[in-house]
Amino acid sequence: MKENILIIGGGAAGMEASTQLQKMGLTPIIVEKSEALGGHVAQWDRLFPAFHPAKDVVDKMLDNVKDVKTYLSTEVVDIQRTADGFKAVLSNNETIEAKAVVLATGFDVFKAERKQEYGYGIYNNVMTSVELEEFFRTGKDQRINNPKKIGFVHCVGARDVKVCNTYCSKVCCTTALKQACEIKEVFPNAEVYTFYMDLRMFGPGYEDLYLKTQKDFDVKCIRGRVCEVSEDMDGKLVIKAEDTLFGKPLKMTLDVLVLMCSMEKNKSIDAIQLKLGVANNSDGFMQNKDMYLGMNGTAQDGVFVAGACTAPKSLPDTIGEARSVATQVFNYINSK
Amino acid sequence: MNAYIFHPFVLPFVLGMAFVLTYCVVGLIRTISQLPKADRRKFWRSLVTPKTAWANIRDLFGDCLFHVKIWKRNPVLGYMHSAIAFGWFMIIVIGHVMLFTLKPLEGVDVEGLARTFTNFYYPIFYKHFAAETPVFAFLMDFFLLMIISGILIAVVKKIHSKIVGVKRVTKFGLADTMVRLALWTIFPFRLIAEKSNIMAFWWLYSIDLMVFMCMLPFTRYMHIPTEALFILMRHAGLQAREPRKGYALAQLYSCPSCGLCIDACPMSVNDKMSGNTSAYFMQKLRKRDSEEAKRIAETCLMCGKCVAICPVSVESCDIKWSQRAATPYYINSDHSYLEDRHFDRPQGAENSPSVLYFAGCMTQLTPKIMRAMKQIMESAGEVYEFLDKDGGICCGRPMLLSGKAAEAEAMIKKNTELIKQSGATKLVLSCPICYKVFKDEYHLEGIEILHHTQYIDQLIKEGRLKVKKGDVNYVYHDPCELGRAFGVYDEPREVLESLGNLLKAKSEKELSICCGGSLGSFNLTQQQRDEITVNSVNDLMFNHPDEIVTACPLCLKTFARKSPVAVEDIAEVVSKQL
Amino acid sequence: MDFGFCLSPSSHVKMDSVDQTTFNRLKETNPDINTCIACGSCTATCTAGNFTEMSFRRILLMLQRGKEEEAKKMIQRCMLCGKCTLVCPRGINIRKILLDITR
Repeated sequence: MKENILIIGGGAAGMEASTQLQKMGLTPIIVEKSEALGGHVAQWDRLFPAFHPAKDVVDKMLDNVKDVKTYLSTEVVDIQRTADGFKAVLSNNETIEAKAVVLATGFDVFKAERKQEYGYGIYNNVMTSVELEEFFRTGKDQRINNPKKIGFVHCVGARDVKVCNTYCSKVCCTTALKQACEIKEVFPNAEVYTFYMDLRMFGPGYEDLYLKTQKDFDVKCIRGRVCEVSEDMDGKLVIKAEDTLFGKPLKMTLDVLVLMCSMEKNKSIDAIQLKLGVANNSDGFMQNKDMYLGMNGTAQDGVFVAGACTAPKSLPDTIGEARSVATQVFNYINSK
Repeated sequence: MNAYIFHPFVLPFVLGMAFVLTYCVVGLIRTISQLPKADRRKFWRSLVTPKTAWANIRDLFGDCLFHVKIWKRNPVLGYMHSAIAFGWFMIIVIGHVMLFTLKPLEGVDVEGLARTFTNFYYPIFYKHFAAETPVFAFLMDFFLLMIISGILIAVVKKIHSKIVGVKRVTKFGLADTMVRLALWTIFPFRLIAEKSNIMAFWWLYSIDLMVFMCMLPFTRYMHIPTEALFILMRHAGLQAREPRKGYALAQLYSCPSCGLCIDACPMSVNDKMSGNTSAYFMQKLRKRDSEEAKRIAETCLMCGKCVAICPVSVESCDIKWSQRAATPYYINSDHSYLEDRHFDRPQGAENSPSVLYFAGCMTQLTPKIMRAMKQIMESAGEVYEFLDKDGGICCGRPMLLSGKAAEAEAMIKKNTELIKQSGATKLVLSCPICYKVFKDEYHLEGIEILHHTQYIDQLIKEGRLKVKKGDVNYVYHDPCELGRAFGVYDEPREVLESLGNLLKAKSEKELSICCGGSLGSFNLTQQQRDEITVNSVNDLMFNHPDEIVTACPLCLKTFARKSPVAVEDIAEVVSKQL
Repeated sequence: MDFGFCLSPSSHVKMDSVDQTTFNRLKETNPDINTCIACGSCTATCTAGNFTEMSFRRILLMLQRGKEEEAKKMIQRCMLCGKCTLVCPRGINIRKILLDITR
């Protein structure tokens, strides 16, 4: 029997879950609020740790879901539990009946304006990591004009009680080093600095990336959190940080400053999440049953989660969770 | 003695009254002698100066008897207090009037000391001893019933305070509870004694009075006599120097533990934190619990709302400051590294600027305000200089708030030097904390000190700054250090009204709730401050504005963490709509 | 083994005999002090640090490594402005700890 499974979110998690569910003989239906499938990963240029083109992975995932029923530029506006499943109303006024719901809504990028002292939106040459990735993809950004000195600031919007996000956003350290290498490729004569509190290189090949940054790309990593950014008379950025390893505060003039913004839970799903009865955990992400065997389940029967909506995740983690949520849904359907 | 002029039941009253009067006189002498000489002279002079003498009389009646300040906050409470106070005052007065007009002792054979003795208690127990005219009888009954109506409200307040509009009440010890019970029963006993003339009740009335009088000096009711002294000292312009002496002592005992400050304090959002409010601070000081008094003094946000709302006008923040000054700590500041700093004039500047802009430490972390101020000053064509563009010297107020005035001397001296060197005639500040210290502690003669809201208001009124009106709904938060400290309420509102629609917050102007970020508090943790912030934000969001507008960089940073809508400084709003 | 002579006092920090009384005392009244990750924001933003060597991060470290006297000397430079407390990502109440050290 082909059972409908409502997949809210058409990013990496949504697409991979749908691919597997379809192979298992169920009928996944993807509802994606933006104009195209692919989520955030479709906007990336190259993936860490080995600079694999993101387009390769995204194209393959898109190909896998070409036969899956998809609604683009559509949001779920209402959802209710019924006798044997759920009934969802979409923004195009269609109704979908499904046996289970998978929340794969992913993340929002932290709004860098909230850290006013970093000057995003105030000074011209401060940009976010997402915007830098866009620059790598398109080759164009008005803030990047043959810079001689580029700085990366880690942990913007993460590990910081002052913006109410005390968690670590996991992937920004690796991304920062990856982007540091990439910008050095574009501007080989530039000096690239990263300002970190810790360097979290947790996965396979990540420590090798760190070695590469040091040996092949001559990226200079300074241990100290940037606390203030200002502009000098020529419009160049001046940052203040403490070089904690050296034990003295330092000031530096930079041409471009890149802020590694953290992941936060996608907030556009809040209303539907509330209706479904899925709570948030203390970090503001969706609460799954538990971290281990219950990672795809929620407190609500028939409602599953996968991907960055429960916590900051890397792409391999997301794909893994998407595959596992498919098995969970499959088992759930067969047990009813 | 004649049964018509004496009965043993008057003795308890006489004893109690003698005790309390002696205690008050001794206390009065002690308190005044604890004042430093200069303050003492000021005090004596103020008693004969017409202006202060009139203020004294006005407040003695208005505050002590009619409790005008309480009526303003909460009419039910105001009635409760003034019914008891004024009613009791009147029956004592009328008792004495009756004694002198009806002359019940005429023709009775009693002389000298015995006569004085009789005159002492007669007015209180009149009805037992003598007849009255219908007019007096009516008046006495009227005021007695007025007092009893006040007491009934007090009983209701004890059982369920929310009925009379009070959320939290001060927690009392055994002594206070006993005395309150005594107070409550005095007048019902008198009523019954007068109507029935049963001796037992006259005894109870007299003993009750004795209990009340004897215990009064050791309970919160000491505020009744002390408030009078406090009013006189306050109008003399004195200041608290030591937390348990002189002027501060008068205030300690004037505090009636009414508990109005508990609801007002921003820390009362949380049961545990409400133990840090001024009422408890005064209580701990009275009880000589110096550890707790010290702790509370250092937890206080110094926002001043308790002072604004106190019906007795106790200046608890000043006492807390004197407590901080008395607490020993040994930073032994050495700011000699500041000595060879000098003000580098920017290239090409020949003449002195007319405006010197001092951003302040906190504004370094909110660069949007600095940028907005630059745009505003440039748009107005002002010749200005930015004193602490590359990081300046702290204004000194955070150090002063810790109670150690001497430690801030080097900073104040250096800043004064730099400001005078610049030759500017106006000093503009973005931060109310700086504003307060520059106005109060610095000696900058010939220089006009302005907060940026006042400066912008001036520019708009002089026509040097043109702004467009938009359609956004703003709500303005009065910073503690600008509003309550200096009464600058109108200038920012006038500026905002020319920029958009100004909505009201639930608590405005002198009642505005502290954001919670204040540097005045040393002990509050981040979580505790967050609770205070959330409460303040909810108050501001009362009429659902689109944006919260602040005039203080610390408030800006504090609200931005917890606000559901955008938070901007008033300078930013102005610069966006030039 | 005792060779009978030794060089002038080693500049190693002797963790076995370090006197952490002040630090332990602070830990009791301010348990947050343990959460410092030595990120250096406090030092970077310090008003006094603009003119002289003042680093709260360093002060905490000095207390943990037995250099109490130097820590107290460095504290004399503090202006109590509060910027460090405002930027600390762990929400540590730095101003209070500074005063507590000297009590």
